[in-house]
Amino acid sequence: MRGRRVGAAGARAIAGVSRSLPSDHSPRSSGRAKFDRPDDSAPWQLLLPRALPIPAGKRLASIALGKAALPALCFARANPRAALPAAGSVGWLLRAEDLCPRQMLPDPSGPLGDEMTVWGQCDALASLGPPAPHMETEGPVDVRHVQWLMGKLRFRWRQLVSSQQEQCALLSKIHLYTHGCHSDQSLGHLSVTEAEMLRDPEGGQQLLRTLEQENRRLEAVLAWRRTELVFWQWMDTVLGTCAPEAPAAASQPTFLPWVPECGDGELELVVRELQTLEEELREAAERRRVAWEAKARGCGRGPEWSATRRASQETVEKELGALQRRWEQDSGPAQAHGPHRLVRREDGAAGDRDLRAAELIRTLRSQEACLEAMLRQLQGQCRQELARVAGALPGLIWIPPPGR
Amino acid sequence: MSIVTVQLGQCGNQIGFEVFDALLRDSQSSHGLCCKRENEAYQASCKERFFSEEENGVPIARAVLVDMEPKVINQTLSKAAQSGRWKYGQHACFCQKQGSGNNWAYGYSVHGPRHEESIMNLIRKEVEKCDSFSGFFIIMSMAGGTGSGIGAFVTQNLQDQYSNSLKMNQIIWPYGTGEVIVQNYNSILTLSHLYRSSDALLVHENDAVHKICAKLMNIKQISFSDINQVLAHQLGSVFQPTYSAESSFHYRRNPLEGFKDPALYTSWLEPVNAFNVWKTQRAFSKYEKSAVLVSNSQFLVKPLDMIVGKAWNMFASKAYIHQYTKFGIEEEDFLDSFTSLEQVVASYCNL
Repeated sequence: MRGRRVGAAGARAIAGVSRSLPSDHSPRSSGRAKFDRPDDSAPWQLLLPRALPIPAGKRLASIALGKAALPALCFARANPRAALPAAGSVGWLLRAEDLCPRQMLPDPSGPLGDEMTVWGQCDALASLGPPAPHMETEGPVDVRHVQWLMGKLRFRWRQLVSSQQEQCALLSKIHLYTHGCHSDQSLGHLSVTEAEMLRDPEGGQQLLRTLEQENRRLEAVLAWRRTELVFWQWMDTVLGTCAPEAPAAASQPTFLPWVPECGDGELELVVRELQTLEEELREAAERRRVAWEAKARGCGRGPEWSATRRASQETVEKELGALQRRWEQDSGPAQAHGPHRLVRREDGAAGDRDLRAAELIRTLRSQEACLEAMLRQLQGQCRQELARVAGALPGLIWIPPPGR
Repeated sequence: MSIVTVQLGQCGNQIGFEVFDALLRDSQSSHGLCCKRENEAYQASCKERFFSEEENGVPIARAVLVDMEPKVINQTLSKAAQSGRWKYGQHACFCQKQGSGNNWAYGYSVHGPRHEESIMNLIRKEVEKCDSFSGFFIIMSMAGGTGSGIGAFVTQNLQDQYSNSLKMNQIIWPYGTGEVIVQNYNSILTLSHLYRSSDALLVHENDAVHKICAKLMNIKQISFSDINQVLAHQLGSVFQPTYSAESSFHYRRNPLEGFKDPALYTSWLEPVNAFNVWKTQRAFSKYEKSAVLVSNSQFLVKPLDMIVGKAWNMFASKAYIHQYTKFGIEEEDFLDSFTSLEQVVASYCNL
């Protein structure tokens, strides 16, 4: 095996990565599988995005690699007799971004019925944000298509509502029927998950096994994080010993030439071009800004301008006032965030960290009112715009469709 | 997922009976080509959708019957009870004595508001009986006064009170040479109102069904009962439990969702979106294979245009208008209806 030996830390790193793969794939068997059956690239698709957050020292922003590239580097050394598959397909693009451990986990095994996450108020609204009026108009949009889409949206919405109602009815039944079954007196009844586990203990065991597996993979990710640097240092040595062989590796044209040929000369050229571009952009932006300022100062007079300014000031003040009122309302009881569980209680007693459903409903209703007001405002704007457009064309009669 | 049916007027009630009958007969007959498990799933799905169970095992139709004359409702109730296989709920009907005189305005402006509370209460009770409610199926005719006028009124109310539920109206298109003189007025008023408050209008033309009876089934003396049975057969196969797209082991949860995509094969819509297919293992009603096509197409332009034209001619000469203005339907309402229907015709022509 050429190149430096992996060393204990490097071995730990590689082991960490491999443990983070789904349990039925081991790198060695996948490697062999890869070389035997070029189509069986699934394990490598898993490995690559995880294994290649480029460390800070190597700012190769995007590398396009053939499918066989890096795994071949990793494991060809271990198995020199393995034949590399012919490259030909376009590879993946890898960006220098951080590995998020959550990306490595499988999807949770289905939503848990009566558990939910409570968002902070500001979070929920902020996540909606002002609607960016950006439309990708790749040509004229047929209004009939839009109408059809609206109809489809309407019906999907209704389906959603009716399935949600069905779910609520079922939840209510479960809570009612299991009253008195829970060992925890303050809860009183079972949740959907608990009822399901009682009904199907095998399923519960399966869930437990999945959770344990996820835990193991999380730990593996953490281990990888700790030893990442060592791994890359080892990779460095591998690549270093690889370079002088480039002319001899005529049978592997896809990956080898890429990395070393980013010679210094080319890099410098690119850097210089970037700097000039940046300079030009900065100048252009400055010119625009100056022009705009002049224009804005110019039209800073006149009755129209002051009227508009007054109107926008009023809107801002109104919104600010509304926001402040909302904050004051909610700063009273301490809002607990995070996962919560739905409990039905006859006596209405609540603990410190408990949220009453009624309060939550009230909050949601006020948010709904805000959003509806926003919607009405936007609709009014649309109507005005349409009227303006229609009015500009003489002889055009605008008959709005029957409203719903 | 259950559907609540509202049967309105003479036509609606007679057809409604035939539909429930056909559905139950189909679900209870076991199909030779399917395995037992399949048959049981089919039967359970069908029954849950349209019937609720009673203690002694006789399914009760999830229906509300409304008419302004007692005769047809009583006939319908007794026919169902006599069959022994199913029946209507004891208190599921609402009936009056004086009729609507084939006058849409009377049905919409007089009967409707007067009996709104009772009718909506009956409907609400049926909805509450459903474990999972998917929507309404409203059967009515266009030409008369009760079905059309009260039908339009009730549909509007349902839109207000159950705005998140799906509503499909089954409309009987009258014979071109029908007996009711003002049937065209009733039709355009009905259509324009329903267009606003209903989610889907499923149309059956009497003329077309009549032709089926005469040419395909060779019935010599075609009665309304024959026509209704053909209609019910068609409707029944439309409502057959079908497989949903996700899995072939579960029947589609909400039967009304299928219709919601107007199946337009047009320039601005991809065929894959325009055409939806739902499959099921067993054919309807003892046939070996059956297929049903529901289409939203330009087929309806010509009949619609004809009705609007005839109604317009009558309106231009102000014939019989006083019968409508008497009960609060003004000329503007007629004009509004004409406008909306012309828009509909135009948009269909421009597909």
